[in-house]
Amino acid sequence: MLPADPPQNAGYMVVAYIVAPVILVGYLAGLMRRVRRVVRK
Amino acid sequence: MTAAEAARVLTRRGLLISVAALLGLAGVYVLALGYTPVEARQGLAQKIFYLHVPAAWSALMAFSLVGITSGLYLWLQDPRLDRFAAASAEVGVAFSAVMLTTGPIWAKPIWGTWWTWDARLTLTLFLFFLFIGYLALRASVHDPAERARFSAVVGLLGMLLVPFIHLSVYLFRTLHPQPIVLKPSAPSLPPEMLRTLLISMLVFTALYVGLVTLRYGLGLAEDARDEATDVAG
Repeated sequence: MLPADPPQNAGYMVVAYIVAPVILVGYLAGLMRRVRRVVRK
Repeated sequence: MTAAEAARVLTRRGLLISVAALLGLAGVYVLALGYTPVEARQGLAQKIFYLHVPAAWSALMAFSLVGITSGLYLWLQDPRLDRFAAASAEVGVAFSAVMLTTGPIWAKPIWGTWWTWDARLTLTLFLFFLFIGYLALRASVHDPAERARFSAVVGLLGMLLVPFIHLSVYLFRTLHPQPIVLKPSAPSLPPEMLRTLLISMLVFTALYVGLVTLRYGLGLAEDARDEATDVAG
């Protein structure tokens, strides 16, 4: 039988939805920094 | 077109695709929060699914392509294949980091634990460490031909873990759910959830293409710089 109300666990979703783009955007920013360093040389 | 010009075009193109894909990710958030229903047993934590599964898809695709291009490199000795493998491995590690962080955040409220040493999780962690080792190997060998040959062998062997990870839920007892989309029968998801998942997988695939294009351009620029340094030296 399904529970009447879904469990209250939105905090976990919020953390995951922040962590994922931080990793991806951080990696993209790191790549761009490396590109600029190589181009400067 | 010189190598330096080609590198500039590729990095610019890669950046554009990556930024477009990240905007697409914002669209996925809107769909996941406003369009898909709240799962009755798991609550809002289930919506981590729309990030975790596409990140896993992109990571495993990246490492599979490392294996394929590494095998082709050992056969054809084309430096472009080695450059692609290096790019795909690095991007795969970034997607693995997303998979390995969103997974435990989802597991805690649903399984009651951040981590369990079952077959799929353990193999995925090993794959992550194996490709960290692959990148360390690349950084430590300076002769380009030697570096390409050694890392191609590691990349090819690393790919062998990918089918075991996908099939581990059938082969071993595990807390991980069985596949709900990539399985012989029809996907077992409500249409709103399936549509959002497929769109997210498309967005993550586009992000993979953008990041690999950018990283490939960076590799090309580094090779052009090294060649110019050798000529000058």
